[in-house]
Amino acid sequence: SVVQESQEFVEKYEGAIGKGKGRKLYAYKVMMLKKWMKFQRDFENFKTACIPWEMKIKEIESHFGSSVASYFLFLRWMYGINMILFGLTFGLVMVPEALMGMPYGSMPRKTVPRAEEANAMDFAVLWDFGGYAQYSVLFYGYYNSQRTIGWLKFRMPLSYFLVGVGTVAYSYMVVIRTMARNANEDGGGDNNCFNFSWKMFTSWDYLIGNPETADNKFASITTSFKEAILEEQESRKDDNIHLTRFLRVLANFLVLCCLAGSGYLIYFVVRRSQKFALEGLESHTWWERNEVNMVMSLLGMFCPMLFDVISTLENYHPRIALQWQLGRIFALFLGNLYTFIIALMDEINLKREEEEMVKLNMTIWEAGLYNETVGVNSTTPPIAIHPADIPRGPCWETMVGQEFVRLIVSDTMTTYIMLLIGDFLRAVLVRFLNYCWCWDLEAGFPSYSEFDVSGNVLGLIFNQGMIWMGAFYAPCLPALNVLRLHVSMYLQCWAVMCCNVPQERVFKASGSNNFYMAMLLVILFLSTLPAIYTIVSIPPSFDCGPFSGKSRMFDVIQETLESDFPAWFGKVFSYASNPGLVLPFLLLMVLAIYYLQSTSKSYKQANLELKKKLQTVSHDNHVSAIILCAIPALT
Amino acid sequence: MVSGAIVLAFLPLVLTFIIRYRYYFVLFYRAVLVRIWYDCKTGLSREERAFQYVLTHATPGDPESILETFDLWCSTVEFISNIGPKKGKIMDRILSEHCPLNVLELGSHCGYSTVRIARALPLGARLYSVEMDARNAAIAEKVIRLAGFDDDMVELIVSPSDEVIPKLRSEYGLERLDLVFMDHWKKCYRNDLQALEGSGLLGKGSVVLADNVLFPGAPNFLKHVRKSGLYEWKIHRATLEYSKGIRDGMAELVYQGIK
Repeated sequence: SVVQESQEFVEKYEGAIGKGKGRKLYAYKVMMLKKWMKFQRDFENFKTACIPWEMKIKEIESHFGSSVASYFLFLRWMYGINMILFGLTFGLVMVPEALMGMPYGSMPRKTVPRAEEANAMDFAVLWDFGGYAQYSVLFYGYYNSQRTIGWLKFRMPLSYFLVGVGTVAYSYMVVIRTMARNANEDGGGDNNCFNFSWKMFTSWDYLIGNPETADNKFASITTSFKEAILEEQESRKDDNIHLTRFLRVLANFLVLCCLAGSGYLIYFVVRRSQKFALEGLESHTWWERNEVNMVMSLLGMFCPMLFDVISTLENYHPRIALQWQLGRIFALFLGNLYTFIIALMDEINLKREEEEMVKLNMTIWEAGLYNETVGVNSTTPPIAIHPADIPRGPCWETMVGQEFVRLIVSDTMTTYIMLLIGDFLRAVLVRFLNYCWCWDLEAGFPSYSEFDVSGNVLGLIFNQGMIWMGAFYAPCLPALNVLRLHVSMYLQCWAVMCCNVPQERVFKASGSNNFYMAMLLVILFLSTLPAIYTIVSIPPSFDCGPFSGKSRMFDVIQETLESDFPAWFGKVFSYASNPGLVLPFLLLMVLAIYYLQSTSKSYKQANLELKKKLQTVSHDNHVSAIILCAIPALT
Repeated sequence: MVSGAIVLAFLPLVLTFIIRYRYYFVLFYRAVLVRIWYDCKTGLSREERAFQYVLTHATPGDPESILETFDLWCSTVEFISNIGPKKGKIMDRILSEHCPLNVLELGSHCGYSTVRIARALPLGARLYSVEMDARNAAIAEKVIRLAGFDDDMVELIVSPSDEVIPKLRSEYGLERLDLVFMDHWKKCYRNDLQALEGSGLLGKGSVVLADNVLFPGAPNFLKHVRKSGLYEWKIHRATLEYSKGIRDGMAELVYQGIK
């Protein structure tokens, strides 16, 4: 057609329509620019289409509101982080050792001991991460402390250490960057004029042609109306402020009592289990052996329900109530963390004492072996003993890694089983028993469950904390977590759409994103502390892992500086790590942070003022426009 | 065997249960335990006790005072599931909007709702009240006559509702029902509604009011109403009679006729 022809003409000669001299070059430049812009646009579209699970989350958001969807967005974001951590540990730690390190069976630390060989392949043992699973790249103990391995001269111990530090550093960077980005998006407050009119007249999307999409859009518009109505209601509430304050103080007092009670119960039970462990675990019943786990699981299930009931006294906006609930359950779960770490430290100490004894026994054993061979022949033939028979020292790092892996697995199983029973089985019972029950099960007592945002978010955050704590000792943890998050996403998306009903008070969750990030940051900090403590203060096992033989794990850095870098580099490094230089630098950083904080505050203030000015100007324009229209009507 | 710590860990669950369902516990206490206690002590049935109280404290011939006395007794002494003051107001409003001439009431129990409906009826209207239990019917009869409603306004039929509905047209000469009030056993709501549809007594614009559709609840009834498409339906949400925290609703159906 004419239009197409003219378009082609303009495209071909566009450059010529411009400058006179250097026409061809200019035309070429313009053409390349246009091609580049088109490529960029296509790439943006491709990137958006590649974001996983976008349709699923949009569907959930349209039915359940943005608070439930915020959990799934958080889950997806965690999945991204865990993919990167998995890439680091898999590519730089597990694969080099598997490909270029000594194979299985060549060294004592890489072989299943003769005593355990019989049942090393049993499913029960493998599920408990013993047997063949323990003596593999999955755990710390398998790695050899050779300085370089393979033809690439890959520095295995250095890589292990740096990957461990790098995962923590990357996590900090990503969390803080996301927090900063979310803070920018919040801005200085929304323009709240004519909220309902905008929603009423501009919500529908006229490009929808699919009936199911139309249903989803309908549901999402309804939900957004409910959210807006709730916001309006909350902003208009003005009742007795003294009664409200008193009730809030009372509620906090009750919650503190409950937390103190459960904290004391956990402490009491841990002390009892330490006593039992000293007496020997076999002399106690199953109940007594698993007392700690049972009490912690029961408290973790029941106390949040009590907090929920107490919070109805407080009469907060649902978003604020959710944040309080999150904070309280967080305090409860810290108790769990405390018991776990205490139990772990006890076991580490036990293993280290055992190590001393084994060292002693090994020298005796080697001497005995040497004497035997000398007795037979005067020359000293090489002692050929299968690695499985050599006594080896206990490996507390592998034990720590195993504990973390078992915890993650049992946590995952518990979550899935609770989901299936608490949500799915309940929904099935309510739907099918309703035909023959005396009261209405759907409207009355059990009814369908609602999606528990706070419990799930905290579960996710604490799970990630466990990963960060244990990834140094069990490089398989990020891989396990990626698998777990992947399955969780599909399972929970299905469970939400199939078994849950939307909450009655649907609220907008825009402010919650930074709250989740803040909690994640706290957990990141808390979980790297024990790892750093064990790295810095406890000497590594003498018989297993990439740092065996060193007095401290971070000695590998010193070793690398001495042998791999030129001499002047080591000198520069020792100057730079002088406390006289480090302290002023830290002071300068603190002052810079303070300065940046105050400037950003003043910018935010200026922003708000400008927005207010804009609003009054537009209001004045509006009023004067009405007056101008009214004048002809009056005359 | 099971240590005290594990038992103590169940304490938050018990507390949550008690606090969240406190109104249901109160209702259970008043409706079941107090009733059993008085049954053993006095030997009269609950409805007879209510009637004694109304006889001694209300002014005869004044339906207002009888209803108020009933409310007082049910709130303070014992619990009987009459329609109650809040839902009663909703019912009064619906009655005054529609001004029905022929009203059918299924399940009069003590006669509270009968008196309430009859109070709001215009002159010349007629109320047919169906009660299955003979003793309750006797009490209801006495209450209705005490309120001053005579035979050509209110007629009490003592028989199960599923037997009466087919005979309404033949024995009682009814052509069309303007309002039906259901307050009998919740299991029977759906069957009676279908019987009414089948008998042809519902015309366009007839109103069916069903009480207690959320607690104890009549899910089959609601499912039938939604699926059949014959009604414009609405649920008036309120609280259960004489109770503050238990949510309940009354369904108002307006018959549209087969399209």
